[in-house]
Amino acid sequence: MPKDSFKTRLEIAKNKAYKEENSNKNDKPTSNLGTAFKLSTELVVTVVVGTIIGFILDNWFGTKPWLILIFFFVGVIAGIMNVIKSAKKMQK
Amino acid sequence: MATNPMHQFNVYRIGPEIKLGEVDISFTNASLFMVISSITILLIFNFGSKKNSLIPNKIQLLAELSYSFISKMINDTAGSEAKPYFSFIFSLFMFVLFCNMFGMIPYSFTVTSHIIVTFVLAAFVFIGVNIIGFIKHGFGYLKLFVPSGVPIILLPLIVVIEIISYLSRPISLSVRLFANMMAGHTMMKVFGGFVVGLGIVGGWLPLSFAVALTGLEILVAFLQAYVFAILTCIYLNDALNLHH
Repeated sequence: MPKDSFKTRLEIAKNKAYKEENSNKNDKPTSNLGTAFKLSTELVVTVVVGTIIGFILDNWFGTKPWLILIFFFVGVIAGIMNVIKSAKKMQK
Repeated sequence: MATNPMHQFNVYRIGPEIKLGEVDISFTNASLFMVISSITILLIFNFGSKKNSLIPNKIQLLAELSYSFISKMINDTAGSEAKPYFSFIFSLFMFVLFCNMFGMIPYSFTVTSHIIVTFVLAAFVFIGVNIIGFIKHGFGYLKLFVPSGVPIILLPLIVVIEIISYLSRPISLSVRLFANMMAGHTMMKVFGGFVVGLGIVGGWLPLSFAVALTGLEILVAFLQAYVFAILTCIYLNDALNLHH
């Protein structure tokens, strides 16, 4: 008898845990802090990556300093667009 | 005892010098702490999954909790399609977490405070995600760079922007972890230096700061491992389910 009742109790507990798991998907405080870290680094790193790409292309084509200037600003735009994209995702 | 706050990041050789051609592959303190964290993870999960009792003991509880934590995270961010990559993400999370946590022990070495370590981890993720994306979608994977609903005039600019933000992924992934660990440990060392410098009279204030920073650093150590894993999931999700 105890084994049987234990099984049903386990089944009930499992169902409950499953329901809870599906109900509170939206409150993840650690993940919000994670998003903040993500945004701040992405804003900076895209500028750096853009500048590096510009630098490499400049060396390739010998067009110093035009491509590095263009890609610097494209990097800035990319960073800001990333932030806007993530902000839109967060609002959903 | 060195007072230089950057001294803790020095990599030095332990044991004999080993050379593979021109490359120095000697065993260093960084390798030592990587080995220690890997062995600790292996031991915990070996003992944790050995008995499989219905009422878990502490190690089993730890193993099961971390399993379900990562499993839930993958399900939430990348969907059920990402299940086959569970073992990779789980090992990645555990390795970063244990390296960070071992760095919190005084006189130890923080492996993840070196950008080459974090960059190699991020490069693995980046290359792996690219391979998965190309296998799954073929050249259609390149559609990732062409968002729908963009006017044709703006398209070249948008594609360049998308490519830059795509290429910045591994770098931001590695820089985030490395910068957080290095900045935190440097700060702690600086405040520790203040305690010594100000002596018994004025040293209490920086001491309390150092204690608070230690708590913060433990949070950051966990959080950065979590962020590393969750961003891997997000990138994997982009590769598996191509949508914009």
